[in-house]
Amino acid sequence: MDRRLFLQGLSASAVAAGVLPVTAAAAEAQERSEADVAKQIAASKDSSPVRIGIIGPGSRGKELVRNLLRVPGVKIAAAADVYEPRFAQLNELCGYEVAAHKDFRALIDRKDLDAIVVATPLGLHATQVLPALKSGRHVYGEKTMAYTVEEARAIREASGSKALYQVGHQYRYSPWIRAAIARVQAGEIGDVTHIAGYWFRNNDWRRPVPADDPGGKLEHLINWRLYNQWSLGLIAELGSHHMDIANWIFGANPTAAMGSGSICRYHDGRETDDNVQVVLSYPQGKRFIFTSTTDNAKMGDQLWVYGSKGSLNLTLEDATFFYEPAKVKRVATGVEKGVTTSASYQAGGEMPYRGPGKPVELKDPEDATTIAIRAFIHCVRTGDRPIADAEVGYGSALCVVQADKARRERREVEVPA
Amino acid sequence: MGGAVSSLKTVATLCLLALSTSAYAQSKFVQSHSAMGTIYSIELYANDAASADHAMQDAFDEIDRVDDLLSNYKPSSELSRINREAPLTPVTTDPETFAFLQRSMDWSRASEGAFDITVGPLLRAWGFFFHAGHVPDESRLATERERVGWQHVMLDARVRSVAFADHREMELDPGSIGKGFAVDRVVTLLRADGVMAALISAGGSTVYALGAPPGTDGWPVIVRDPRDGRGKAETLLLKDTSLSTGACTEKYFIQNGHRYCHIFNPKTGRPMEDVLQSSVIDPSATDSDALSTVVFVMEPKAAKRLLADRPQTEFLVLRASGACDSLHWRGAICRK
Repeated sequence: MDRRLFLQGLSASAVAAGVLPVTAAAAEAQERSEADVAKQIAASKDSSPVRIGIIGPGSRGKELVRNLLRVPGVKIAAAADVYEPRFAQLNELCGYEVAAHKDFRALIDRKDLDAIVVATPLGLHATQVLPALKSGRHVYGEKTMAYTVEEARAIREASGSKALYQVGHQYRYSPWIRAAIARVQAGEIGDVTHIAGYWFRNNDWRRPVPADDPGGKLEHLINWRLYNQWSLGLIAELGSHHMDIANWIFGANPTAAMGSGSICRYHDGRETDDNVQVVLSYPQGKRFIFTSTTDNAKMGDQLWVYGSKGSLNLTLEDATFFYEPAKVKRVATGVEKGVTTSASYQAGGEMPYRGPGKPVELKDPEDATTIAIRAFIHCVRTGDRPIADAEVGYGSALCVVQADKARRERREVEVPA
Repeated sequence: MGGAVSSLKTVATLCLLALSTSAYAQSKFVQSHSAMGTIYSIELYANDAASADHAMQDAFDEIDRVDDLLSNYKPSSELSRINREAPLTPVTTDPETFAFLQRSMDWSRASEGAFDITVGPLLRAWGFFFHAGHVPDESRLATERERVGWQHVMLDARVRSVAFADHREMELDPGSIGKGFAVDRVVTLLRADGVMAALISAGGSTVYALGAPPGTDGWPVIVRDPRDGRGKAETLLLKDTSLSTGACTEKYFIQNGHRYCHIFNPKTGRPMEDVLQSSVIDPSATDSDALSTVVFVMEPKAAKRLLADRPQTEFLVLRASGACDSLHWRGAICRK
């Protein structure tokens, strides 16, 4: 198979059937030589100074900082947040005092930063990422890339070789997911037509808010995921990772989205749904289905990739292949051997798979966020284009924003190119 | 005057009201969670189930986070990354992991190697990691001893890096300090969440008593006496401190009639003999966890010298011979 097509995730039969990525840019974004990828992912001895500013050092922001500080030469030089307790927490985490700004614009105006990390609520991403890119700094932006399609387009256009953008889809860097998807792309489970993503939790998704909260300001600030002004809910915060993986495997962005959701369990003043379902339509009738609930954790976080020859299960920690029962095959004719009659009974072929499957064996599977952050710093130092670049971010943002629109309007909506 | 009395009465009423809506009105909640190869359990007092649920969720998420950081069973943990790369090159790590390693090395240095987080290969050779205990042959022991020794772990605070001297294939094993570290993180978090009374237990080997149950002086913690023919146990009341226990009474194997304990003397490379159980009380669960090994392994006099200047640190060591060593110990086991 052509290497370019292989890297796009297209099997030979899919190519014959006319399945091609929806845009040339999307195809190009997926084309990476494995050597380039390995270079970004590998541990580096380069310890040249890299000064980082972080906008939004909240819970996810602090996890990114932890990982940044595992890269030699990296210093967190400045932080911006509207919630003041974050600064002390960040100082404790870093072990030194980080310059604090209440206004993110003051951070962007600094002249001593090499790159900026944006880990704020989704509704603010474009407001902060765009000026950061326009200031010529490289940006690591948490997913989802943007709150609207227009904002996502603007970020895609603003990023380039002078101001790189990497989106926080760290599973693009996960060793077991990369290894498993490479095998899917090599045809191990045949043609993939359906992917199912489950993200089940059993908690109310709330964070504790200080008792003294006049006007509920802190409630909206700390629990921003529950309010429409800042959040696209479970579809964005959980589903965007799965949608990105679906785009990756199908080698295309979807063409249409359906969505559904409700507040079923937690009638506590929240605005975003506590259970959602999404169906994304891809070329050639392929489908991705996402379902997320917050009052049952049975399914956890997992994807099932269904192909004509088998299935792949992806989780936060591993990847496992299962194979379809063997199909009819032609054999040589000769003397008939007959068959022995018996009273045995076997359940039909509609039973679900049982058994452990075949796990993807990896020697040293590292944490995906650790690798993603290390790769970002590699790109900052070298100018290499990130694996999870603006094109990747744009693809999943399209899925999220249009799926949410479909959920709100209760109809199937088109996903633009 | 009448007005002043009335004000005092009002203040008194308000105080009673405050009490009735704080500690005394609270209910007790319990929850357990599997992590780090053990069961963490938390008992806490909260105003309602929703507050308790939030606090528990925060606490168990934090334990899982520490497990993801320090597990030597999870290949994706930060400690596993260090174990893989430190024989090859200095590994830069985050301040939290570095501080954990510094604290481990501090106790190794202070105890002259009685506590040593590099002892894992020896435990593996003796079959303690997979419930397959056996006495290994001398050649295997000699090989594994080469991989053990805290002094070969090179920490560079200037750049927060970790390296193994002479490219040794060593293994950092958090088994004798990691659970205490996780408990300390949970205590910090529960305090920040406004929890006033909680008992956090890492499988019983490290417990922390945060505050005290309403109307009491502390959380009861029972210390067993495993010596033959002795009293069963004593109950201590703990408040804002931790207690860690190391014991040979549960994790051991018997070969040719001899009992081999899972706690090692890193200097000899062999399981400890005679000591049955050690317990340490200290305001830091990280320290009490490490010190329960220190006092288990060190000679009693040396252990007392080491900890004499730490009045808040108490220890108790019970031996198969019937001996009982203690320092600052609040209980009466040694006096029985």
